Amino acid sequence: MKKVNSIYIIDDDPITVFGIKKMLRPAATCDDVQGFENGLPALNDLKRRLEEGISVPDVIFLDINMPIMDGWDFLEEFITLDIPKKVIVNIITSSIDPSDYQKWTEIRSKCQHHLNFKNKPLFKIEPSDLDAIDMAS
Amino acid sequence: MKAVQTDIHQYLLKQLPKATALVNMEQKLVGVSDSWSAVFDISSKDISKLSIQDLYAKHDKVDQKTLDRFFTKNKSGRLRHLKEENGDEQWFESTFTPWFDEKENVVGTLIQIDDISEEVKKEQELELYKTLHKTQSEVAKIGSWEYDIATEQVSWCEQTKKIHQVPSSYQPTVAEAIAFYKQGYSRNKISMLFHKALKDGSSFNKKLVIVTKKGEERWVMAAGKPIKKDGKIVKLFGTFQDVHDQVQAETKSKENQQLLTTLINNIPLNVYIKDKDSRKILVNKAECEYLGKKAKDLIGKTDFELYDADIAQISREEDLEVMRTQKTILGKETMSIKKDGTITNFLTSKIPLLDLEGTVTGLIGISMDITHLKKKEDQLRDLINVTAVQNKKLINFAHIVSHNLRSHTANFSMLLEFLVKEDDETEKERILAMLSQASDNLMLTLSDLNQVVDINTNINLEKKSVKINDVIHKVQQDLSTFLTKNQIEIKNTIPDDLSVLCVPAYLDSIVLNLMTNAVKYRSPDRKPTITLSVKKHRKKIILSFEDNGLGIDLEKHGKKLFGLYKTFHSRKDARGLGLYITKNQVEAMGGTITVSSQVNKGTTFKVYFDEES
Repeated sequence: MKKVNSIYIIDDDPITVFGIKKMLRPAATCDDVQGFENGLPALNDLKRRLEEGISVPDVIFLDINMPIMDGWDFLEEFITLDIPKKVIVNIITSSIDPSDYQKWTEIRSKCQHHLNFKNKPLFKIEPSDLDAIDMAS
Repeated sequence: MKAVQTDIHQYLLKQLPKATALVNMEQKLVGVSDSWSAVFDISSKDISKLSIQDLYAKHDKVDQKTLDRFFTKNKSGRLRHLKEENGDEQWFESTFTPWFDEKENVVGTLIQIDDISEEVKKEQELELYKTLHKTQSEVAKIGSWEYDIATEQVSWCEQTKKIHQVPSSYQPTVAEAIAFYKQGYSRNKISMLFHKALKDGSSFNKKLVIVTKKGEERWVMAAGKPIKKDGKIVKLFGTFQDVHDQVQAETKSKENQQLLTTLINNIPLNVYIKDKDSRKILVNKAECEYLGKKAKDLIGKTDFELYDADIAQISREEDLEVMRTQKTILGKETMSIKKDGTITNFLTSKIPLLDLEGTVTGLIGISMDITHLKKKEDQLRDLINVTAVQNKKLINFAHIVSHNLRSHTANFSMLLEFLVKEDDETEKERILAMLSQASDNLMLTLSDLNQVVDINTNINLEKKSVKINDVIHKVQQDLSTFLTKNQIEIKNTIPDDLSVLCVPAYLDSIVLNLMTNAVKYRSPDRKPTITLSVKKHRKKIILSFEDNGLGIDLEKHGKKLFGLYKTFHSRKDARGLGLYITKNQVEAMGGTITVSSQVNKGTTFKVYFDEES
């Protein structure tokens, strides 16, 4: 079983958060799974961790449509942060709007992190959702 | 005795006032008068040695043969001769008569000389006039005619005959002369004029048609004038001129003129001609109608007197350019503003006008009114824009619908998958609770979407005139507990009698929504105030909702503010539906909504009501 240090789930839908948490259980062991209702509290927590020198999450599950700060706005801010490692960001959306997919390709090209694009519904967390090194090798 | 007689004769002869000479059979001078001597400049006393031939040889134009005949055949006759001396000319006429003695025997010739210079001069002048007249009448094709009342004789000159195409020998009677005129008007007219001239001495000058001998119809100008003698008309005299070519040219030119005028006046284009100073010198009917003035009121006017100053200036510059470069402006889109402010769109052409030497004298302008086309074009563009907006809205809505429905169905699928695999009873119950939650969410979303669909499908809802304040007061009434609880102050400057054209239910919803929003997003640091006002701009009524609340960062969220399920404040009751619905309702009524805001100062929403339809 994959050992992951820290995971963020950023989604305003409690059912999805519940689902992801549930699906993570058989896929990985992680003592630090955090849920956020939208991008803003997640970003604030991330900044706090960087300031305090606590390790930032290895994997982020990110919804797009959220109030206050949506997934794209979070990503725009996120990629400017000075994070010393490659974070896997799984974009989880029910959107089939081609402009969302396009945006993802755009951001992916200018970002050092590993971005996945996943359409709902999810039934299972794949190993590639948690570890980019396998994919890259 | 004989000698003495001869001397007396000589003496008598010498003094005769008329130049006279006696020549004997030997053609020698026997005696001369002084005047005769003067004609030939004879100075010698002894004239007997002088030869008559020699004397005449001194003069010009002498026909020597005729002269000889006078002496050899002793015939009488006349001879002209010209004396030239120092450039002066003197014409003489010598009369030769045989000279008889007592027994009727011819003994010589008697020569008498007359100075005929004056006569010759007159003859020459007359000849000149005749030639001149003949030439004139030939060139101008003016002939003449005469009618003698006493003899009832008609005489035509050569030219008149030529015009009638009859031979020179032709001699018409009055009846024949009149018969040449074309049957009908021409013949009746000339007959009447001729008899009237004879009767009361009136002159005439009339353009008529004759049929020539060869059967050609020709226009002639027939003129007549009576000549009186002792107060009685004795003759009619007149001219007869072939004016066929002129009449034809005139007719042709008139026809051309008529054609051109008809064309220019009836063409559905504004046509005008301007001189070098851009003054109108010709305007057609369409141009007159467009400017609402008569042609005579437009001639001589410049554009500055007819149009808006700026437009006139542009037009004048175009004129100058066309006249300077001699290049035509073709089909240029222009705009004219008349003094009264009427705007017309034209497709204008300006063509330089040259005289026969190729110098620019002005220009011809042709304008086609394309205002209606322009309007159609604008309408079409508007329609395309509306369609594009509608289309975009539809696609957007389709995405919203699919997204929102998908997110719920995705949850269903996921939860059901969990449920199937789950063994733990407590966990099963948790999943079931969530399924029930997901179902509620779906119902809510469906009802939201229904609202939106309702607005967008009922775009032809009947608009009514509604007093804004009636709606505002009603909403205030409905929200009274909510407003009082939050200590909201409402400043309302909208006049009570002001109405807008709207769908009443939508206006209710819009006012309720904007007012609720203003209360929800109030600032805890200030006493919340909502200011309501209206402004009229052109044909629109602008309703303004101004609050002093939290405000919103429009740079960040401006694009999404009116989007569905977009919320920007961490409030539990914010669902991101209100402004989306409001915008849809405003637009369904043909209006627009705008927002301006400053973080921590307040937000102003402006609703534009379209009062036209």
